[in-house]
Amino acid sequence: MPDTPALALTGLSKHFGRPAVDGLDLTVRRGEFYALLGPNGAGKTTTLRMVAGLLAPDAGRIEVLGIDLALEPIAAKRKIAYLPDDPMLYGKLKPYEYLEFVAGLWGIESQAAEPRARELLAWLDLEKHAHELTEGFSRGMKQKLALAGALIHAPELLILDEPLTGLDAGAARQVKDLLLSHVQQGGTVILTTHILEVAERLAGRIGIIQHGRLIAEGTLDELRAATPGATLEDLFLRLTGPA
Amino acid sequence: MSVQPGSALWLLRHELRLFWFSLSSGKQGALRRPAWRVLGGGLLVWLALHAGVFALLDAIGPMGMPPRQFVIAVSALLLSTFLFMLSSALKRSVETLFDRGDMDLLLSSPLPSRSIFTVKLAGMAFGVAALYLFFLAPFAHVGLLLGQLRWLALYPVLFALALLAASLAMLLTLALVRVLGARRTRVVAQVVGAVAGALLYLLSQAGNLMAQSGGVASSASARVMASLQSVDPGSLLFLPARAALGDGPAVAVIAALGLLAGLLTVRWTHRFFVRGLQQAAGSARAAPRAGPVRYRFDRGLLQLVIIKEWRLVWRDPHLISQILLQLLYLLPICFVVFRNNQLQLTIVAAGLTMLCGSLSASLAWIILLAEDAPDLLQSSPARALTVRMAKLGAAVIPVGALVALPLLWLIVRAPLAGVLAALTMLGATVSAALVNEWTGRPATRGEFKNRGQRGVATRLLELCSVLAWSALAWLLQRAATGAPASLAFAAGLGGAAVIAFGILPLAWLLRHRVR
Repeated sequence: MPDTPALALTGLSKHFGRPAVDGLDLTVRRGEFYALLGPNGAGKTTTLRMVAGLLAPDAGRIEVLGIDLALEPIAAKRKIAYLPDDPMLYGKLKPYEYLEFVAGLWGIESQAAEPRARELLAWLDLEKHAHELTEGFSRGMKQKLALAGALIHAPELLILDEPLTGLDAGAARQVKDLLLSHVQQGGTVILTTHILEVAERLAGRIGIIQHGRLIAEGTLDELRAATPGATLEDLFLRLTGPA
Repeated sequence: MSVQPGSALWLLRHELRLFWFSLSSGKQGALRRPAWRVLGGGLLVWLALHAGVFALLDAIGPMGMPPRQFVIAVSALLLSTFLFMLSSALKRSVETLFDRGDMDLLLSSPLPSRSIFTVKLAGMAFGVAALYLFFLAPFAHVGLLLGQLRWLALYPVLFALALLAASLAMLLTLALVRVLGARRTRVVAQVVGAVAGALLYLLSQAGNLMAQSGGVASSASARVMASLQSVDPGSLLFLPARAALGDGPAVAVIAALGLLAGLLTVRWTHRFFVRGLQQAAGSARAAPRAGPVRYRFDRGLLQLVIIKEWRLVWRDPHLISQILLQLLYLLPICFVVFRNNQLQLTIVAAGLTMLCGSLSASLAWIILLAEDAPDLLQSSPARALTVRMAKLGAAVIPVGALVALPLLWLIVRAPLAGVLAALTMLGATVSAALVNEWTGRPATRGEFKNRGQRGVATRLLELCSVLAWSALAWLLQRAATGAPASLAFAAGLGGAAVIAFGILPLAWLLRHRVR
């Protein structure tokens, strides 16, 4: 069903003593590059963790490509890849062993997984480190390997939490290229970032949340429409700054 | 007292402050707020120790020339203390070099490397001495109160021994860095430290076994004791013991030795310490191996999880050394088998059952609870039950593999005893693993050594399970070999069985509360 959104959140709520996500409604279309922005503590990571099935919402509904996450979690998870800001790696595994493991978790056939793994490691310039344990990797290398793991099963919905934090210019470019390529091939990307320039350049639509609620959403032009000439930074600060 | 900022004393004060925070909050990096209940409890124990020591010293009264046997006993005590100090100092020197903490900040500051090294060494010595001071300082305090001033010697002697241990540990670690490179040093030093701590126990057990086995070994052991009896009390061999018992010149010599070791270590190695730190900073990255990658994407999920878990444990020699160290303490039980060339089925069965339970508990904790990437597993579509079963398998299969041979030998030698032992070993293995699965809290591998602190209930259930299954194994073997039937024996057998089989339902009931 091509009209089914990649992600549909309806009245999503999560409380940790205080509301972290408060009745959030959000829809991300298929093939879209969506940037979720917000100040620290706005509820971005909590939202993504609920979508990835790592946190159970207190209320609301999550639909991934038309599949209700609460009713069919395994079917929904097959279509998602989640990359947190702190890469989920095993220090004592080598990159190809890590990819073997992740491919196994998602039940990928070896005929599909092996060429994909080779392609990703080559693309992300990790081939020459294939025999090293990941515990010795730099932050950027770890992030790239985690991204390779996220992409090995060619997820339809890729969710990334601050994927560019701590990366050097070269690694950041590689990651951005890979994400854009994923979208060009029909995949959907949702990312959170504090680097507004990244959202400005890559995202088709931008959502801004604060106190667990969506306070603005649209393309960059739509967001700018109210304040001609303003940068995304100006808009962001105006929307999320002290009233 | 005002101390010049940037001086060694200023840095030492900072180091002691950090030590106090870590001690009082029970955990490095934790909140600065002291854990008043822990401190209060510790203080109460310390006061109780003072009271006990007061009663003891008051009863003994002023001691003249200590008898030779007493000096030999104190010597043995000091030797074991020193080995434990060395073990602890090796751990601390590895932490200083590899875990770094504030080392990057200190090394990038204009402080001289000599000051930094001096303070780190002094901090290590103080940390090493702290535990022993806690238990032995009451002798000095009470001695002062009772006018038995000789006990005051414990302070300089303990500090000197700690400084000596810290210096030796640092020299050994730095020498290892030079010879083996930084990457291997971490593992080797940790293993040496672990073995040093267990050395005296093993030696003492070997001594006991030799003494009981008769023959050549026994006479060798007797010869050591006899030669100690004939050694001149003024010999250098007894110098530390004489110092600890308040002999003035001996105290001076030991204190001077400790200070000299510290000063020479600082003088000779402070530059190499900085080089060692620089090497350690880049130690985690292994040299890449040439050759193409052989992918194996054809494994099923069960197989993948098991292999992944084994790889993670196998590639962590420090973790393996910690697991095996627990087993080291069980070795003497195995030696018993061969005593007088007589097969002692009861002890073999109980020992093997205990080994299975302990090993299974350790592996289950590491594999089930110390998962490095729990979010990856949870966000994947892999069925949680399949992953958990695979992890349980990864924990118990090595246990089975390790005891298969001795068990087979036992079954061939005495079939009934072998089958009974196999049952209790299986029970202990599965029970210990499931207790961890059901009641354990998620943790990191680094917490393995102190896992009891994070999950008291789990550790307690695990210990009860291992002990109950071992007792059951012992009693079943006794019953099978025709032990005289008595009410006490039947009660013991029944009690052990109830506990052994009752732990699992209890763990199941507690599973949500404990987590």
